[in-house]
Amino acid sequence: MTTSTNIVYLIALPLAGAALLLLGGRRTNKWGHLLATALSASSFGVGLYELSQMLGRSEEARPVSQKLFEWINVGTFNVDAGLLLDQLSICFVLLITGVGTLIHIYSISYMSHDHDRRRFFAYLNLFIAAMLLLVLGDSYLSLYVGWEGVGLASYLLIGFWNHKPAYATASKKAFVMNRVGDMGLSFAIMIAFATMGTVSFAGVAEQVDNTSEAALTGMGIMLLVAAAGKSAQFPLQAWLGDAMAGPTPVSALIHAATMVTAGVYLITRSNFVFDAAPTAQLLVVIVGAITLMFGALIGTAKDDIKKALAASTMSQIGYMTLAAGLGPVGYAFAIMHLLTHGFFKAGMFLGAGSVMHGMNDEVNMRRYGALRKFMPITFVTFGLGYLAILGVPPFAGFYSKDMIIETAFNAGGAKGIILGSVTLLGAGITAFYMTRVMILTFTGTKRWDDEAHPHESPWLMWLPMAILAIGSVSSGYLLSRGDALVNWLHPLFDHHEEHEHHLLEPIVVSGLALTMVAIGVAIAFVKYSRQEVANIAPEDVSIFTKIARQDLMQDRFNEAVFMRPGQALTTTLVAADDAVVDGTVRGVGQIAMGSGSALRGLQNGFVRSYAALILIGAVALIAAIWVVVQ
Amino acid sequence: MKWLTLLMLLPLAGAAIISALPKASEKAAKQAALGTTLVVMAATIAMAVGFERDNVDLQFVEKYSWIPSFGINYALGVDAIALVLILMSTILAPVVVLAGWNEAHGGRWSVKTFYILILVLETMMIGVFAATDVFLFYVIFEAMLIPVYFLIGGYGSGERSAAAVKFLIYSLVGGLLMLASIIALYVMSGAQGGHTFDINRLSELQMSSTTQNLLFLGFFIAFAIKAPVWPFHTWLPDAAQSATPGTSVLLLGVLDKVGTFGMIRYCLTLFPEASKTFTPVIMVLAVISIIYGAFLAIGAKDIKRLIAYTSISHFGFITMGIFAMTSQGQSGAILYMFNHGFSTAALFLVAGWMISRRGSSTIAEFGGLQRVTPVMAWTFFIAGLSSLALPGLSSFVSEFLVLVGTFTRYPVHAIIATFGIVLAALYILIPVQKALHGPTTPGNENLKDLGLREKLAIAPVIAIIVVLGFYPSPLLNVINPAASHVISQMGFTDPAPTNGGK
Amino acid sequence: MTFTAPVLSYTLLSPILILLGGALIGVLVEAFVSKALRPVVQLTLTLGTLLLALMQLWRIRGEQSLTAAMGSIVIDGPAVLLQASILIIAIISIFLIADTEHFTPLAAALPGSAEEREAAQSGNQVTEVYPLTLFAVAGMMIFPVASDLIMLFVALEMLSLPLYLMAGLSRRRRLASQESALKYFLLGSFASAFFLFGAAYLYGFSGSITFAGIRESIVGGGGNDVLLLIGMAFLSIGMLFKVGAVPFHAWSPDVYQGAPTPITAFMAAATKVAAFGAMLRIYYTVFANAQWSWTPVLSGIAIVTMLLGSLVAISQRDVKRMLAYSSIAHAGFLLTGVIALNKAGLDATIFYLFAYGVATVGAFGVVTLVRDSSGEVTDLNRWKGLGKRSPFAATSFALFLLAFAGIPLTSGFIGKFSIFSAAYESGAKGVVIAGVLSSAIAAFFYIRVIVLMFFTDATEDGTGVEIPSVLTQATVVISAVVTVALGVYPAPLLSFISDLATFIR
Repeated sequence: MTTSTNIVYLIALPLAGAALLLLGGRRTNKWGHLLATALSASSFGVGLYELSQMLGRSEEARPVSQKLFEWINVGTFNVDAGLLLDQLSICFVLLITGVGTLIHIYSISYMSHDHDRRRFFAYLNLFIAAMLLLVLGDSYLSLYVGWEGVGLASYLLIGFWNHKPAYATASKKAFVMNRVGDMGLSFAIMIAFATMGTVSFAGVAEQVDNTSEAALTGMGIMLLVAAAGKSAQFPLQAWLGDAMAGPTPVSALIHAATMVTAGVYLITRSNFVFDAAPTAQLLVVIVGAITLMFGALIGTAKDDIKKALAASTMSQIGYMTLAAGLGPVGYAFAIMHLLTHGFFKAGMFLGAGSVMHGMNDEVNMRRYGALRKFMPITFVTFGLGYLAILGVPPFAGFYSKDMIIETAFNAGGAKGIILGSVTLLGAGITAFYMTRVMILTFTGTKRWDDEAHPHESPWLMWLPMAILAIGSVSSGYLLSRGDALVNWLHPLFDHHEEHEHHLLEPIVVSGLALTMVAIGVAIAFVKYSRQEVANIAPEDVSIFTKIARQDLMQDRFNEAVFMRPGQALTTTLVAADDAVVDGTVRGVGQIAMGSGSALRGLQNGFVRSYAALILIGAVALIAAIWVVVQ
Repeated sequence: MKWLTLLMLLPLAGAAIISALPKASEKAAKQAALGTTLVVMAATIAMAVGFERDNVDLQFVEKYSWIPSFGINYALGVDAIALVLILMSTILAPVVVLAGWNEAHGGRWSVKTFYILILVLETMMIGVFAATDVFLFYVIFEAMLIPVYFLIGGYGSGERSAAAVKFLIYSLVGGLLMLASIIALYVMSGAQGGHTFDINRLSELQMSSTTQNLLFLGFFIAFAIKAPVWPFHTWLPDAAQSATPGTSVLLLGVLDKVGTFGMIRYCLTLFPEASKTFTPVIMVLAVISIIYGAFLAIGAKDIKRLIAYTSISHFGFITMGIFAMTSQGQSGAILYMFNHGFSTAALFLVAGWMISRRGSSTIAEFGGLQRVTPVMAWTFFIAGLSSLALPGLSSFVSEFLVLVGTFTRYPVHAIIATFGIVLAALYILIPVQKALHGPTTPGNENLKDLGLREKLAIAPVIAIIVVLGFYPSPLLNVINPAASHVISQMGFTDPAPTNGGK
Repeated sequence: MTFTAPVLSYTLLSPILILLGGALIGVLVEAFVSKALRPVVQLTLTLGTLLLALMQLWRIRGEQSLTAAMGSIVIDGPAVLLQASILIIAIISIFLIADTEHFTPLAAALPGSAEEREAAQSGNQVTEVYPLTLFAVAGMMIFPVASDLIMLFVALEMLSLPLYLMAGLSRRRRLASQESALKYFLLGSFASAFFLFGAAYLYGFSGSITFAGIRESIVGGGGNDVLLLIGMAFLSIGMLFKVGAVPFHAWSPDVYQGAPTPITAFMAAATKVAAFGAMLRIYYTVFANAQWSWTPVLSGIAIVTMLLGSLVAISQRDVKRMLAYSSIAHAGFLLTGVIALNKAGLDATIFYLFAYGVATVGAFGVVTLVRDSSGEVTDLNRWKGLGKRSPFAATSFALFLLAFAGIPLTSGFIGKFSIFSAAYESGAKGVVIAGVLSSAIAAFFYIRVIVLMFFTDATEDGTGVEIPSVLTQATVVISAVVTVALGVYPAPLLSFISDLATFIR
């Protein structure tokens, strides 16, 4: 494989930024944010350069690797600190650094009033570096480092305002649930080493053929657990909503565009495992399908604009996971949707941020309304993102989402029909809740009181939004023109071309999808545009709405099943440790003491009893000797 | 050059100097102590440079007859394991002295006495790892208790004397069990070619499996108490809670390592068969320690107790790695011993500073320190991250090696143990949230952030934690030969990839 | 009839003879030297005698003879070693005895009576203790070297009687002191009766009173074993009583507490050496071949003694009583050396006896230092915070306690190790286990005292520490130095012992 010496700079630049800003302290307050942005941008530059190099090479020569140093080397467990830049990772590199840079720019203005802005940018850079390590590591173990690195960065950023207890809790929740996923990753790595004796992607890929399906299924399931944790997939989805506690740019970058898609990356990266482990693959599809609906349903009931968007993110990633679970045919589409989603969702989050910016950080959509005329640019960019996520042609989502629906139908048999209809239905619901967001926020009557003085955001904020909007419009077309992305990624996934029997013609699928979307939009329109919207959430709503508002009881469930029993166990153990374990020890001491003072009774001070004692002793002695002799 | 004896004499010399100082001159005593420990550290590093990596025999060997009529020698020597631990101890010593600059005040006795005790302890810390004569080892193993006992009881806080006594009794009982085994070994050696305490010759003794099992237990329980392994652990939280932070660092960071070190050096070497016999039990105890310690840490209200419980969990990992009998597990365990020294040191020292500023060690008393004392909060957070084994920090490498090494032979144990990493996230992030996040608790508004001395003390520790996280090879390459030597001595080889039974 | 003059090898007997001579001169001094001078004269005389005896002993080391006194005294390596230990212990105890604070001015006077007060005012002193001590020492010197039953009994009484007397001479709490003296006397006589009885049985068994004779008939067999067994049992009782082994220990706590502390020190240390010396000789040479019959029994006694001593010591509130029980426990440890019945056991026991004796004298020496206006303070609760008030006293006492506990780097550890390993070697594993166990228990109360002295603050004050005489201080310091030296570098003494220590028959 061709080697390169530049890959490391992708990571090194933002990492240096983070280190500099954190160690530099207040001294760097003045220019810290600029430096961070510059470094992120230059990392993007390196990415572009690498891409150009890659395009210049023949298909099989495209992947490049770089060995940094020997990391862990014990017995047969040899892991180098090595980087791998191939067609798949380059996509992520550009997404991360590109969107990342835009969000840096946006944040310069968004965070300008926060006296901790420097720290914020340090975290952003730290995140970029960790995320790049995640997608560039050439083994599961080096991926693991990035994997937990982004977890840390996300923890720091969610809890950026951790002086608010709720936010601190949210960040802790995110980290812990991620750790559950990470545990899955550790298991996967252990299985890989125990069964195949290697933990590098290349090594595992080689060994797959002479490894039992059982082992691979186990590994696959564990990888899925890891993915679920990071990508907020069922059943580890509960943290994402709370993660919106972080500053909005964070939600845009980490909890929409990049980190939460790491799970999809892990699955596609491990395609060789899943292709050889159908059961695991099926589970991936199921998890994807469930999450898709789960997120969509939650989305319909949220009044907090960011939580609504978060729910939709969850659902969209459900699409990607589902696609990734469909095997070789699906990987490319998963990635494509991942990229387009990166654009439009990030764009919409930034839009939401811009709205909050204008509305004194109000997040309740019921207190928005008619903002169209006050913040036109935001409206337009957000609107383009809206069209994109709906999948209206020719916007980005149309290409990526339709491909997924199509592939789902073509999965064949009942599986295909079920998955197909789920994805279709999801599209409809998506249309409903996104329209709802749109209407509640920008159209209708003003429901905000007079303290709020909505105004358009400064150019530093709307410029990134604009750029992302362009992406939301064009990316889908560009990526699918002549199957650009599919062909680009093709060499990574082995297509054993089993002739895909088309259940439905593409055009029919698009038709169906659009109809669903139309229905969804219509319902939303009737429900929110025709009648007045209460500026406080009505209580007299269907049980379903209530449940949906509570994120389908996910937190209640976790509390009942994990937290409470855990806490109970803890308290019991704490008590037991003192009473039982330490108690036993103390008991022994007591016994010694007690017997001591008991024996002391012999010593009563009377000569006669002492003499008696001697006499008894003498007799006993004789007796004893007698016994011995006999 | 007699490196090891030199290393052991230097601290004593320092102690002598300090005792010669006039009673009033506390500052001089501190400086002398710091100077001495720094010199010892330098000397150790100088010695370590001359260590031959791939030579698994004992190096820097010294041997003088001590009590000829019992065949007892003053015999020293180090393999990689001992070297690494001595290195850790002598690096920690100056850190502790510098970090705990004022912790001797408010003790029962003078500041001078405190540093004399510390330096005497350092001599013994070096000796206990360097001894290659079982009798000498035992003597130091027991004698070590005395300075620690006085350090806890004389300079600690709260129920210090009770805790000191508990610590001493536990250790003495363990020690006496070991003494019984040692006597047995000594007698047997007399019957088989002359009385001796030489570890190598004792390892060649012929004995019935019953005897071997009993003697093994004598040693193992002593070490399990030291380490401590569940259920012999209850002395540790009390001791750690009462001792000064510096003492706690030496107690958990170094003295407890004598337990795990002893398991490798004595249990495995002297009683290979018995070790195999008891491995199943020990593995279970280790796993229990991991999970149990973690849960108790989660439930701890007092920050020092919390750290103590996390250590119990960590010692579970070390024990598991030792008895997993794979090169990954073994190397991991040894590396873990080294890393744990530093991550615990970091936690305890920062916790100590927090406590001394707040005047309480109850976690609930803190809150919002992130805004008041950012640097202190950060150091605590990083120390915490290393304790929860975040990838990229040194403890991750060792912990993962232990897990992966255990998994290849004992998958179930490894899987259960891995749940520890989730619990770890909890037992670190809960105190982090309570102490550092949230609104600033009344009374904490004016706490002072770390001063230059404190920064200087903690910086090297954190540096080691981070650097070894990304680049552990220098240390691993020293450890690996010794570790695989242990494995092969025990007649084990790493399990080959199973291909999942295909 | 013809009278054959007894043949005595005076050189070998010289140490004993010197002591007896010194003692007699001491009596004359009481008669002819003026009150004022007596204390000085007696002290110098006694010390001189002891030192001279010691020098003499050094000259005859390595010599061996079965016929030093017509076959009733045997001089050999163990004899020399034991006698030397006794002399050294006696010397450092004399330093304590020299502090007259401990002794009643007028033994004859009723407690609290007028003449007692006068005597006190007129600065009267019972300098008789010096010759009494010398007589006792002489007895102790003979006890381990006696080689026939008569001599053995004479020695026993010779060492006991002066002790009975001196136990009653305490200045403070005279009633308790006299009571203890009486107890000691009565019970001692009781034990001696058993002893004689046993001697008679042994004579009945073997028709001989010499050790050699008895051993021959044991080896030869054929004698009436019942007589032998009863004889052994009763003889043992006499000696077990002296060493304070359970169940013949009851006297020691009361006597240790009641007697003047210097006497307690002397008694606790020197008597043990003498008695165990005698036991060693008898069990190693005379009864060796009847081993099958007595080792199990003696093991049982050893175990009970160790455990009871340690357990009861935990609940003691009085320093002297605690030390008494600890000495009982140590009697148990020493018995394991007797049971071992091998060379290692002999060496170990001799080393242990010396190390323990020195440490004991030192410990009691410290006890004499801790006082308030009304004399010694032995109530442990009033020892709280001693570490603050007198680092010297507290530290040295702690050191002796650590030695008793057998912590490494003290003589106690080497002693324990050597004696246990000897016992283990002889196959007495059970005894060793019990020994280890009771050491653990013992450690507990030794540590309790250390905590008391160092980690707890004095509740009420008034307890002070005064260094009455440089001599007392010297005792403590010497004992401490020896204790540490034997812990850190015991090699010379150990090899010296193992070179010398072989019984001749």
